[in-house]
Amino acid sequence: MMALTASRLIDGEVVFWNRGQWVERFGQAELFEADEVAGQAEAAAKGQPNVVIDPYLIAVSEAEDGFAPVAYRERLRALGPTNLRHGKQEEGGHDVEVITRAVGVARSGGRHNLIKRK
Amino acid sequence: MYQYDAIDKAFLDDRVSEFRTQVQRRLAGEMTEDQFKPLRLMNGLYLQLHAYMLRVAVPYGTLSSAKMRRLAHVARTYDKGYGHFTTRTNMQFHWIKLREAPDAIASLAEDGLHSMQTSGNCIRNTTADPRAGATAEEVDDPRVWAEAIRQWSTLHPEFTYLPRKFKIAITAAAKDRTAAKTHDIGLSLRRGRDGSLGFEVMVGGGLGRTPYIGQTIREHLPVGRLLSYLEAILRVYNRHGRRDNNNKARIKILVAQLGTEEFARQVEAEFALIDGSKVDLPDEELARIRGFFAPPAFATLPAVSKVFEEAKARDPALARFARQNTHAHKVRGYVIVDVSLKAPGETPGDISAEQMDVMADLADRYSFGEIRVTHEQNLVLPHVKLDDLPAVHAALAAVGLATPNINLISDIIACPGLDYCSLANARAIPIAQDIARKFADPDKAEQIGELKIKISGCINACGHHHVGHIGILGVDKKGEEFYQLTLGGSGAEDAEVGKILGPALPAGRVAEAVDQLVEVYLRERKDGERFLDTYRRAGLEPFKEAVYVAAY
Ligand code: HEM
Ligand code: SF4
Repeated sequence: MMALTASRLIDGEVVFWNRGQWVERFGQAELFEADEVAGQAEAAAKGQPNVVIDPYLIAVSEAEDGFAPVAYRERLRALGPTNLRHGKQEEGGHDVEVITRAVGVARSGGRHNLIKRK
Repeated sequence: MYQYDAIDKAFLDDRVSEFRTQVQRRLAGEMTEDQFKPLRLMNGLYLQLHAYMLRVAVPYGTLSSAKMRRLAHVARTYDKGYGHFTTRTNMQFHWIKLREAPDAIASLAEDGLHSMQTSGNCIRNTTADPRAGATAEEVDDPRVWAEAIRQWSTLHPEFTYLPRKFKIAITAAAKDRTAAKTHDIGLSLRRGRDGSLGFEVMVGGGLGRTPYIGQTIREHLPVGRLLSYLEAILRVYNRHGRRDNNNKARIKILVAQLGTEEFARQVEAEFALIDGSKVDLPDEELARIRGFFAPPAFATLPAVSKVFEEAKARDPALARFARQNTHAHKVRGYVIVDVSLKAPGETPGDISAEQMDVMADLADRYSFGEIRVTHEQNLVLPHVKLDDLPAVHAALAAVGLATPNINLISDIIACPGLDYCSLANARAIPIAQDIARKFADPDKAEQIGELKIKISGCINACGHHHVGHIGILGVDKKGEEFYQLTLGGSGAEDAEVGKILGPALPAGRVAEAVDQLVEVYLRERKDGERFLDTYRRAGLEPFKEAVYVAAY
C-alpha cells in the first residue's frame, strides 16, 4: 500500500494527497493499492510545483488498528520529532497513536521505489 | 564588540528586501524551486523534515546581549519558542514558514544579525576560541582576525561560487577550543622566536564522508599577510578543486591528492604573485577593528573573593559548578563561566527563548553584555567577577542552565539527526539523552573526568563524531536505526580521527556500550589519564572485547 506525500511550499508543512487535495494528517491521506492509480496521483502532484515541493510515494503497511508509514523517517514526518512533542503529534488523535505504536520498519529512505523488501 | 556602521546596516536592509522579493516571486509561481533553492540557501533557509530551517550566523561565536534578545524574539515570534546552537556556533530555528521567513530575517537585521554565509558554497562563518579576550593563554585576540576575515569574505566575488563550502577556524591559544584541524583552514596564532605574531596555517581538514586532519603548510605567516595568504589558498582551491563530484569537491580532497608539499608550493607561488597592498588590511583599518575588541573596563579586584569563598563553603552545588564550569580569567578576580546546554533529558544545544533572555540579562549585569557560543553547543559568559559568581549560578540554576558537566561524559555534541534533518539515517538526540541519563550521577561523571562524546545522524558528520573520544554515527540497517561507535578521536590540538570499534549496535544498546567502555577505562587507567589517554596507551582491543565479547 502507498500514500503520496510532499512538503507544502508556503510553510514546509508535511502534507498528504487525498483525491486531488493536500491534507495535513496522515490519517486523512488517500491510500493506494494499485501502482497505476498511485502513479497517476504522483504525476498530478508533480504538476503542482508552486503548491508543494518534491512529492513522492511512500510505502504504507497495516499496523495495529490502522495504518502506518513503513519507514521510520516517514513516521517521524507524520508525527513530528521525538525529542519534543511538536508537529502533528501535538494534536494527538487516532492516527498519531497508531503510528506511535507501529513496529517493524523498512529502509529509512521512505520512498516507495527505494524500499527493498526481502 | 564589533559594531556595524551605516554601510553595513544599509547592506543588510538591502539584502532583506531582495530576499523578500525573491520569496514573493517564488510564492507567486514566477520562479521554480530549482531556481529559488540556491537563493534561499544563500540566506540560510533549508527545507527540513517538518518545516523550513533558518540558520543564523553568529560570527566567531560572539553575541551581544541585544543579539541574544533578538534571537529570543525570533524564537517566540517565528518558531516554537526555542532555538538550537550548532557545532559551527550558529543558531538554527527548526520551524520556520517560508511566507514568514523574510519577516524573520528583517527582525534579525534590526540587531545586525543575518543568515548569509551559513549555507552554500561560500566561505562560512569563522569559528574562534570562545574564550577570546578573556583567557591569559592567548597571544592576541583572535576575534580581530576573525572579523577581518568576515569583512574580506562577505560576498567576495571570486569566492562566492567555490567548488564546495569553506570553513575557517582561528585560535590564539595553544589549547585548541575551535577544532581548527577539522576545518578547511585552521589558523593558530603564535609568537615567533623573534617575538613577532604569526599564524600557523593548516589546510585540508574536514569531516564528512572522508575525514582528514588539517596539515600545516606554513609555520609562521606574518599576521599582516593573512588575507593575501588566504586568497592564495582559495585561488589554488578554486582552480583545481573538483566540481564534478560533490563528495570530492572539498579542499581536503585536493590537498590529499596533490600532497601537502605540492599544495603548499602552489600556494606559495600564488602568494608571491599577489600584491599585498591591494588585499591585506591597512594598519589603520586593523587598528579600527582592534578598537572594537578593546578590553572592557575591568575592576581592580583581589584574587580571592570572600563573598564567593563563603558561598561556596555553604553550597556544594555552587562548589561543583565552580569546579566544572569556570576557568581562569586573565584579569584577577574574574572567571570565565561556561553555561552548559546539556541538562539531563534536554536536547544538546537547544535553548528556550526564556533562557536566551536570562542569558542576555546576566550578560548585561555581570559580563559586560557579552556572550559566546562554543562549537560544543554551549554558551560562555566570558567576564564574570568571582564576587558575582554565586548570583550568576543561582540565576542560571533557576532556569535550568547550571548543569555542572562541561567536558564531562554528559556534555555531548549531537546533531539534529532524523528528528529534524532530511539527510539523516538515524536519530542522534535520543541517543545523547540515553547516555546523559545513564551518567546522571554527577559524582560518577566527575570521577570519569574529561570524555567527549559526539553523535551524528549520518556520515555528513555535523556532530563531529569522527573526532569524539567516543564517536557515534547513525546508520541505517534495513530500515532500523543502528549506531557505529568510533574510539580515540580528538578535535583538539592533538586532533585525530577515531577508529571504528566494531559492527554497529542497535539504538537500545548504545548507552550500555558506552558504560562498558567507561568501565574498561576506569579499570585500566593510570594516574591522571583521560579516557583518550588510556585508549591511546591500551589500544582498541580491551574496549572492543568489553562491548562485543563480554556482552554476548
Ligand atoms: C539540519 C540541517 C543540516 C543539513 C541539511 C546539513 C548538511 C550538511 C552536509 C551535507 C554536510 C556534509 C558536508 C561535506 O562533507 O562537505 C554537513 C557537514 C557539517 N555540518 Fe551540517 N547540516 C545540517 C545541520 C548541521 C548542524 C545542526 C550542525 C551543527 C551541530 C552542522 C555542522 C556541520 C559540520 C561541523 C559539518 C562537517 C563539516 C566538514 O566536513 O568539515 N550542520 N552538513
Ligand atoms: S550529520 Fe547528517 S543527520 Fe546530522 S545534521 Fe548533518 S546532515 Fe543531518
